[in-house]
Amino acid sequence: MLHIKRLSKSFGKRQVLQDLTLHVRPGEIYGLLGPNGAGKTTTINILCNLVKEDRGEITINKQPVSEATKSLIGVAPQENLLYKSLTCAENLDFFARIYGLSKQQRWEQVQVCLEAVNLVDRAKSPVETLSGGMKRRLNIAVALVHLPKLVILDEPTTGLDIEARYEIWELIRNLKKQGITVLLTTHLLDEAERLCDKIGIIKDGRIVVEGSLSALRELIPAQEVVVVQTRDEESAIARGKQLGFTHRRYGNDLAFWLPEPLELKEIIACFDGIAVDAIARSPVRLEHIYVEVTQG
Amino acid sequence: MKYWRETLAVAQRILIELLRRRRSLVFWTIFPVSILIINGFIVAERAQLSMAEAFEYAAPSTLVGAALFFSCLGGSVATVVAEREQQTLKRLFISPLSGTSYFLGIFVAHTCIGIGQTLLVYTIAAFWGAKFQGSILLGGVIILLSIISYVGVGFVLGTQFARRTEDVNALVAAFGVPLLILGGAFVPSFVFPKTLLDIAKFNPVYHMVKALSGVSDEGKKFADIELHFWFLYVFAILMVVAGWLSYRRMLSVERRL
Ligand SMILES: Nc1ncnc2c1ncn2[C@@H]1O[C@H](COP(=O)(O)OP(=O)(O)OP(=O)(O)O)[C@@H](O)[C@H]1O
Ligand SMILES: [Mg+2]
Repeated sequence: MLHIKRLSKSFGKRQVLQDLTLHVRPGEIYGLLGPNGAGKTTTINILCNLVKEDRGEITINKQPVSEATKSLIGVAPQENLLYKSLTCAENLDFFARIYGLSKQQRWEQVQVCLEAVNLVDRAKSPVETLSGGMKRRLNIAVALVHLPKLVILDEPTTGLDIEARYEIWELIRNLKKQGITVLLTTHLLDEAERLCDKIGIIKDGRIVVEGSLSALRELIPAQEVVVVQTRDEESAIARGKQLGFTHRRYGNDLAFWLPEPLELKEIIACFDGIAVDAIARSPVRLEHIYVEVTQG
Repeated sequence: MKYWRETLAVAQRILIELLRRRRSLVFWTIFPVSILIINGFIVAERAQLSMAEAFEYAAPSTLVGAALFFSCLGGSVATVVAEREQQTLKRLFISPLSGTSYFLGIFVAHTCIGIGQTLLVYTIAAFWGAKFQGSILLGGVIILLSIISYVGVGFVLGTQFARRTEDVNALVAAFGVPLLILGGAFVPSFVFPKTLLDIAKFNPVYHMVKALSGVSDEGKKFADIELHFWFLYVFAILMVVAGWLSYRRMLSVERRL
């Protein structure tokens, strides 16, 4: 569906993208993750033909990026870009018209999209009267109205409460069910964990790792991550070393990678003689992989 | 076909937005009506004219000077700035909408408003017995050229100078009011001292007013207003080019998400 090969772009002396390569298969939800300034939005700009690449090959549905591929893509930008005094239906209808849908198609698509984002009963409400979550959903609906093959969602749930976030996740899963390919950027690792079939982590303008969540888990030689709360961290780290546990810091937390799964009492026994206040266990999560890849 | 469809979509959207907000529409109705009536009565009293003659005199300058200036220039600045401010322009960039259709859409929407104001001003003037003396076709062309010029200037100001909606009023007042006064929109230009009149000759508003008054009030033929007409014509073309260039320049700066 989307193939990017050795894409490079610099602004002045600043190299933003360096030989970025990624492939998104039809019907897949691809999560593009990376720290601020890694080049995610720049990549999207190039896909939308807003910024010209310096080098590289990009094809969308087998066509090179051009004005003509704009209709293949639906973008829900990071901010809600909507006409505030127009109603939900009018916003959708306007963009459908710009994309060249006939009157009949427009009428149908406006209904379909309103239903998809659960805003049918607000069809005639001006955008300025909607809640944050509703605006966000309409922002996504606008990206869907012209029946694009590839939908790009730039941080779709940033700034939403958990209920609204669940609704958007549900919506994204429904897109997948309809066979729409989704490219998603996010800072929320649990969001990527829940939704994405494939994850690419971008750092300094290149994809450093790419794969399904289970494939990415292989990158960390651990069965489990154990966070240890103690006043005597030095002893805990020394003990970990003796036992062959790699240690890491996740924010303030001191954590150890367990190469083999252990029972809770075995874990407690490992730190015997050290003043431990609490122990928390978790499987290897995207957070751990992300930190490893972007900070390593 | 593509251009036409897109142009209509943009124009219709702008008109719906204006209808929703109402404030601008109310202002664009009240302003020309009050200026027309005030001008009409002053001219009737001072120049000792009949009411019909006074309103024939007042109508064209009220229309192209005052009314169209605020609706077409001020209005298109406001449209472009609002679109930049709520960033919907970015959404248009990622769509297949062409810049030409966008410009034409803004032009068509404000032309509709301009036509509405033309009908309003001349209907009210007719109420006092005023008539359109010359060729209505020629008058229409002059009005259209004025609208094109104003929208062109609006595009330049909206894309280059005004960043927020608050800037619009300041800009329009700073550029506009002196130009309008110097163009004879409020005070007839025959009262101007000679130096002022020499300056006024470089003012496009002056030529719009002169050309339309010539046709509408004095029933002049094309040959009699040729100079004013060509000045306006060239100015309109220049403003469309300038508007287009400013739009391109804005694109190169803002065309990204
Ligand atoms: N037009 C531009 N001119 C100069 N530098 C730019 C331009 N656009 C982006 N950059 C730089 O490119 C780098 C990557 O920016 P980009 O917006 O792609 O990052 P991002 O991954 O989207 O980050 P975030 O998560 O903060 O949105 C940044 O350092 C930014 O300053
Ligand atoms: Mg970004």
